[in-house]
Amino acid sequence: MIGNDIIDLSVAKLESNWQRRGFLDKQFTENEQQLILSATNSFVLVWKLWSMKEAAYKIYAQKNEMRFFAPKKFVCLLISKKKGLVYFKDQIFYTSTIVTQDYIFTLASLEKVTKPYSKFVNPQVIDRMIKIKLEDVTALSAIEIEQKKSKNGAPSYHYKDILLTRSCSISHHGNYGVYSLLYA
Amino acid sequence: MTRIELITSLQKIVKPYVQDQEAFKNLSEETDFINDLKINSANLVDVILDVEDEFDIEIDNESMEKMLSVKAAIDIIETKLADS
Repeated sequence: MIGNDIIDLSVAKLESNWQRRGFLDKQFTENEQQLILSATNSFVLVWKLWSMKEAAYKIYAQKNEMRFFAPKKFVCLLISKKKGLVYFKDQIFYTSTIVTQDYIFTLASLEKVTKPYSKFVNPQVIDRMIKIKLEDVTALSAIEIEQKKSKNGAPSYHYKDILLTRSCSISHHGNYGVYSLLYA
Repeated sequence: MTRIELITSLQKIVKPYVQDQEAFKNLSEETDFINDLKINSANLVDVILDVEDEFDIEIDNESMEKMLSVKAAIDIIETKLADS
């Protein structure tokens, strides 16, 4: 199972002020806050850790019906520049994060090794691009492929009664859109 | 403060973060911050901090977890105001 998150850094800069009083404390553990404050680029680390939490939460949301907002309970551990772990209750999520000047993209997985398909697309047409991709892979007609959403908003793709995506995660922010799929 | 008054103040607070103006116009207790108003989850914390400032209350982590809809937010604000 997978979850992803994308952050358009130019939009994050405009939409949020991470230095606002209470902002860090509501969302990050003591350790994470220290890491952020001692980093050379605190702004980027705020959003890197946030995207790890969000991507992990999206996996949790696929497995559970309950929705909640508890970013502080998703505890991040950085292993390397790219790799990280997120702990929530008794679960571990494996994350891989790409940081560029323009965006941050995190893919989280429940399995240590997964080979999901991820693609950056225009945020306006993500759903259509997924259907076209599934048409390519399955030879089914894109028009007949349907998106369904679980109670808490987790998407999945179906052809009639057949599930086409074992796991699917969609994320968009500012100029960026991305989807990640595990085929059924 | 009545519930209607609380909703009106909450409406002012969420306004800058709303991405779906149509849903905002039809805001009711049943409105969901993320699913309906399309508030970015990273801005949810701003909504919570703004609520704390506006009503001079502290929203603990346990309450924050549930603050995903207008109804949940109003319930929490009412409880905190009654305690303070």
